[in-house]
Amino acid sequence: MLSKIFASIAVAITGSILLYGVSDFPAFGDPNSPASAGVPGSESVSLYFIEESYKDTKVPNLVTSVLADYRGYDTMFETVVIFAAGMAIFAILRVVGNDGEEKRATSLEDSFTNGDHSRIIVGTTVRIVVPVIQLFALYVIAHGHHSPGGGFQGGVILGASFIIIALSENLNAALRRLSEQNYVRLAAIGILIYAAFGVMAQILGKNFLDYGVLEPLLFTDGPEMARSHSMLGVEVGVAFTVTAIMFAIYANLSSRGQLEKGL
Amino acid sequence: MIATVISIIFIIAGLIFFIGGAVGLIRFPDFYTRTHAAGKGDTLSSLLVILGFAIYQLKDFESFSHDWLTLLVILKMLGISLFILITSPTSTHALMDAGWEDGTKPEIHPNRPNHLNDDCEKF
Repeated sequence: MLSKIFASIAVAITGSILLYGVSDFPAFGDPNSPASAGVPGSESVSLYFIEESYKDTKVPNLVTSVLADYRGYDTMFETVVIFAAGMAIFAILRVVGNDGEEKRATSLEDSFTNGDHSRIIVGTTVRIVVPVIQLFALYVIAHGHHSPGGGFQGGVILGASFIIIALSENLNAALRRLSEQNYVRLAAIGILIYAAFGVMAQILGKNFLDYGVLEPLLFTDGPEMARSHSMLGVEVGVAFTVTAIMFAIYANLSSRGQLEKGL
Repeated sequence: MIATVISIIFIIAGLIFFIGGAVGLIRFPDFYTRTHAAGKGDTLSSLLVILGFAIYQLKDFESFSHDWLTLLVILKMLGISLFILITSPTSTHALMDAGWEDGTKPEIHPNRPNHLNDDCEKF
């Protein structure tokens, strides 16, 4: 009881300090705020993005060009954070040393609609819908630099399609399609793809993740298109990691680390 | 002109079904009837509203070569409505099935014979 009172006091003090700090912010959408107009003596960086990012990268989606190019180092470690979350789930929940792998190998038949009578409707719908969802996920990934979307969003949709398979039948049905070995590999490969783009730029003599120099490797006309294509490659890497970790979190949480049966 | 009128009729019909679903969700007595109202009402009304939008897109439609982008939008809307037609009833069914497996009892009038009584005995 006493600890709750102290905790409430601490929360109230922290909250009031934060609210007091908010009162110093510029008004929402204020064109004269430092973020929009810059401070006297130095031009605003957002003005530069708005005016120059299409000339620099030939990417019409401003958000993606900032996220995957100007701020690519940050996004790479966001992906690493997701990878670390998956590894933490793995370390905390996964029970190693069961014989689930062998059981899965012996029951290879596609049992979407076999047996369990009450799952016919859900199983049939999932079988129809999952290819559409996965196709849409690939579209979202591939169009990240032309329309809203990108690696994170497309990866979540792709991961959700595997979660739907697991929900409609059982976890083993999804694990036959994306096994534990494969999703851990996929998560690591995603980050390696991202880092490879950075290291390639370093090898060619520029800074880490400076995509412009990849022009001869990607057979593009001009460094701008090289940046655009590199963003696509980086998004694919992000999508790999997010897909794998989404499914890994679901698989481990729903089966308490056993990777059997599931919900 | 005709396309606009037809689309308005579709959208208003859809909104009426939305109201029906909302009223049913609040006023029906138990879990199953409420899910029934929400599932049926939402599916049909979403379909009608999206079809209304698709028909509204036809209003300045002139020729296939000139307006194929409009046609693309209409095709996408039809795709969305097909997707809703498949998934929305299934999710309602899955929800009801989960409720039944969990042992949620339907509300049955005490003075009326009902074949569900035998099924409910097992819980």
